[in-house]
Amino acid sequence: MLFADPLFDLPAWLDAVIRIVIVVLAMTVIVVYSTYGERKLVARFQQRLGPMRTGPWGLWQGFADAIKLVGKEDLRPKNADRWVFELAPYATFIPVLLTLMVLPFAENWGVRNLALGVFFVFAILGLNIVGILMAGLGSGNKYALLGAVRAAAQMISYEIPLVVSLLCVVMITGADTPNGVGTLNLNTIAALQEDRPYIVLQPLAFLIFFTAMLSELHRAPFDIPVAESEIVGGYFVEYSGIRWSMFQLTEYASMWGFAVFGSVVFLGGWAWPFGVDSHWAVQLATTFTKALAIVIVIIWIRTTVPRLRIDQLMNFSWKVLLELSFLQLVANGIILYYGWPQELLALTSAVGAAFLIFLIIRHASARSTKGLLGTYRTLGASSS
Amino acid sequence: MTATEVIWWVFALGIVALSAGVVFSRSVIHSAIFLIGSLAGVGVMFVILTVEFLALTQFLIYGGAVTVLVLLALMLTRADPSGRAEKVNGPQAPFALLAGIAVAAVLLVAALSTEWAGTADSPASIAIETISQRLFEDFGFPFILASVLLLVALVGAIIVARQEEGE
Repeated sequence: MLFADPLFDLPAWLDAVIRIVIVVLAMTVIVVYSTYGERKLVARFQQRLGPMRTGPWGLWQGFADAIKLVGKEDLRPKNADRWVFELAPYATFIPVLLTLMVLPFAENWGVRNLALGVFFVFAILGLNIVGILMAGLGSGNKYALLGAVRAAAQMISYEIPLVVSLLCVVMITGADTPNGVGTLNLNTIAALQEDRPYIVLQPLAFLIFFTAMLSELHRAPFDIPVAESEIVGGYFVEYSGIRWSMFQLTEYASMWGFAVFGSVVFLGGWAWPFGVDSHWAVQLATTFTKALAIVIVIIWIRTTVPRLRIDQLMNFSWKVLLELSFLQLVANGIILYYGWPQELLALTSAVGAAFLIFLIIRHASARSTKGLLGTYRTLGASSS
Repeated sequence: MTATEVIWWVFALGIVALSAGVVFSRSVIHSAIFLIGSLAGVGVMFVILTVEFLALTQFLIYGGAVTVLVLLALMLTRADPSGRAEKVNGPQAPFALLAGIAVAAVLLVAALSTEWAGTADSPASIAIETISQRLFEDFGFPFILASVLLLVALVGAIIVARQEEGE
């Protein structure tokens, strides 16, 4: 489905091509500066300066790195499965690129305005894992294989809480639309949040979404598929040069894609707090400020929280997040069915969110790692 | 031929070629990758028929399903370090042929005996609201039954998988 007005009255196909080029170019520049920004932020958190030499405050560092990466030799291990190995970066990159095509960056501005926008994003992002598996299996390296299998297990597990938390929001859009039917259209979801963002009504769903997003992005503390100190980089250990940088590009592009997606679904996108009638530049700035806030929190968490163990990771998904997301869904259903006031939605969800935070803090500060977030079984105990 | 027909033929031939790749490929991993290509091609077919919901469901379900399939293939086949292709066919080949023919026959009979609404020239665009109404209101009870069946299968699978580390 097209957005209302083609740019400069161009034919539809040319309009689409121009929009895609704008989005891809903007994404590339943003990714280059996210690597710089992440290094600077992490450095500050660790009381260092970060890149300072290339340009003023090291501002050209990202471009220098990009040129270096393009110039590096494109190595391929002798026992790698040639085509699987070489096509894997593309197979991870294309789904992320496709999801950027449906995100509304300002009112009625994106590449395509799909009626099934939310569904499109999580359906296509799920295909990402195929490329990661291809990289792990095609490399002919045990570390790569381990990383890919870990990534597969983790992403499939966390996809369920992610999708259910998004469904919670889609449910309550029905209370705002005139005909009482919810919507999956991202542009409409953003417009419906003109008065208050959905994070106010669904803080628990946002927490679940955020946690599952960290896991889908393999960011710390869920970065066991790419753990440098255990499996030296995981599924892309054998890649170098331009193919390695494609994996990095994918990682940062999907981080931004998720950040914009989360800001549209939960934080009001371009509509809140300046309203749907504000200037498009204001709307664009609003969307990107919210996305930037999410990205900064992701980096902040990366420098603060130590990596989880695989059993803690799985337990957290299946025993905590899944149940809480289903509870949220059922509570929403009951409240919406009886038409109870929206304050009740916010209240129930806030209680759930407080419970989740309490659970995390209690287990993070506990001395032994028993209970819901991971039972530690000593080796050799079963043989006696 | 119209543009839609050309696109249809391109993807139809692509699906057939990729499916042949699934069957004739010597490596399990290659088969799985061909399989996801073939299933994605079917998803594109759904887009041509303007049923985007089915297309996205196809991508969502089979993206995950093929991933699990690859993992199972990894666990159930022996990886040969010398890189030789593992033997996939066994004495079960005739039974597989029989099962394949039976499935194909059922699908053909079902496809030919159904009265399809709408034609390929003017495909009916179905809104997501209509689908959800049919699924959750008109056929709500069968839907719940199917979910319960899947849940039972899930719990059963977990119990079977847990047994070996019970003691």
